[in-house]
Amino acid sequence: MHDRAAQPRTAFPAAPALGDVLPPMRVRTGVAGFAYRYPTMAIGLVLLALMLLIAIFAPYLGTVDPTALAPAKRTREPSAEFWFGSDAFGRDVYSRVLYGARVSLAVGFAVAILASLIGLLIGTVSGFVRALDGVVMRVMDGLMSIPPILLAIALMALTRASVQNVILAITIAEIPRVARLVRGVVLSLREQPYVDAAIAAGTSTPVIILRHILPNTFAPLTVQATYICGSAMIIESILSFIGAGTPPIIPSWGNIMADGRTLWQVKPYIIVFPAIFLSMTVLAVNLLGDGLRDALDPRMAKRV
Amino acid sequence: MLGYLLRRVLSTIPVMALVALFVFSLLYIAPGDPAAVIAGEQASPEDVEKIRAALGLDRPFLVRFSEWSLAVLSSDLGISMFTGMPVTELIAQRIEPTLSLMVVTITLSVLLAVPIGVIAARKVDSWWDRTFMAFAVLGFSVPVFVVGYLLAYWFALELDWFPVQGYTPIAKGFWPWLQNLILPSIALGFVYIALIARITRATMLEVLSQDYVRTARAKGVAEGPILYLHALKNAAVPIVTVIGIGVALLIGGAVVTESVFAIPGLGRLTIDAIVRRDYPMIQGIVLMFSFVYVLVNLAVDLVYVVLDPRIRY
Repeated sequence: MHDRAAQPRTAFPAAPALGDVLPPMRVRTGVAGFAYRYPTMAIGLVLLALMLLIAIFAPYLGTVDPTALAPAKRTREPSAEFWFGSDAFGRDVYSRVLYGARVSLAVGFAVAILASLIGLLIGTVSGFVRALDGVVMRVMDGLMSIPPILLAIALMALTRASVQNVILAITIAEIPRVARLVRGVVLSLREQPYVDAAIAAGTSTPVIILRHILPNTFAPLTVQATYICGSAMIIESILSFIGAGTPPIIPSWGNIMADGRTLWQVKPYIIVFPAIFLSMTVLAVNLLGDGLRDALDPRMAKRV
Repeated sequence: MLGYLLRRVLSTIPVMALVALFVFSLLYIAPGDPAAVIAGEQASPEDVEKIRAALGLDRPFLVRFSEWSLAVLSSDLGISMFTGMPVTELIAQRIEPTLSLMVVTITLSVLLAVPIGVIAARKVDSWWDRTFMAFAVLGFSVPVFVVGYLLAYWFALELDWFPVQGYTPIAKGFWPWLQNLILPSIALGFVYIALIARITRATMLEVLSQDYVRTARAKGVAEGPILYLHALKNAAVPIVTVIGIGVALLIGGAVVTESVFAIPGLGRLTIDAIVRRDYPMIQGIVLMFSFVYVLVNLAVDLVYVVLDPRIRY
């Protein structure tokens, strides 16, 4: 693109006023302006907010006890009584799906926050303490060589099934990627002239890290955290689906689908509804991530 | 050149040693008493002790680890606690379906994803581009088993184009084998295709803005040769990298895909091992898959040398 400002300004006779040539500029502000400028982020935010509301207000949305068994009313098709049908134990799939939003969102957010914080710590230390860098990064390489789902499976096989353990297992599997990212950012920031200037001015290392390094890791870390949130929700559903995740008594989307597994050819709705909710939620988070990346790093926006 | 190849091959040894150390020490770093967890709720204290002895938890870590590593080096991954058979043998029995699934998935995905990415980059911001990229975001958001059930429902149950479930060994003929693998491969490959298509589009966009592409256009080279000879060749390194890294996704996804399509491979073995709390089995499978993953990425690094003659480490 040509840089118009850099061209020599020669005085053309009777140059048309800018207002006649360019259409009037509309500056959009507020919510509409945000949605116009960042459509993907706006769609993601709306969908995610919807899921959050569903998770919070699950008890008031016409649900019944998601664990209540009704053997006489097994595997009913979707109807006025069972909006999403009932499963092999006569439990209301609608109520289970709505309560399932709580588990997925809790796991997604908890893993995103924990993995980011621990990864930030490891990455910063590794980027600043040369003596530790080699060792720490080799350990991270080793962890990254184990496919994340398998690492989570192995960890879950050794601990009791619980939501906390699922969160821990997925967090451990996600940490190396964050640590690598943060270390990369820290190493490139260390070479920046303003960091040299701060060192020359006698600023102490902790202050440099807090003031000059950490704020600059925020943008890439936020984007990464969003993607981790989405991938954590998918891993949770996979773990639950194969029986290595949240205890079967808890209605998580993976568990509901695992319950519907044997009946999928005749009663597909037991799997369809949690599948739609899970995919929509992960889609919301991923759209938010794509939008954040475009907004926070305009240079990257056109590339990926 | 030879020096680089040799060094790169040797550098996988410490990584593999680290992976082995991790996989082994999981038993020790797990919170609580792993022997009690593996034994289950109803186990008597004697059962727990038996398991502790079988896993070697009663002996010092380093002693156990060195014994175990030496055993692994002679391809002995221990004894399955449930069946009493060697883990290596059980894995060998189940390897064909999983390997077939992986090979078909990677082939199909690369053949689909690279042209998709090239077209999207060629017609950037067109409807093709937007549709493809929307599918890519969807690919990252829909779990593999959901795609699997959707495909099985439509193309097997409703339309009856493919067998619903199961696996036919390749020894019984190429077509029956492939027919059984098409739906699982598309399901498993969905996220992989999204990943490769996105990186192909991104690198192609970068390469297409280079001076030598402009020169080629200026001297009248046709668009086809420009895309596939000038541009794609120079975009190959990042694409091949992602093809290698993405294998981690495939390994995790295969476990689930095999369960959806009732394929008797390593994934089923893993799920059975989880249900039976057969830890030596799980340990063996995780170790084997991780080694495969390390070796795939080694292969990718070696391919770099062919793709980009400038690379000299």
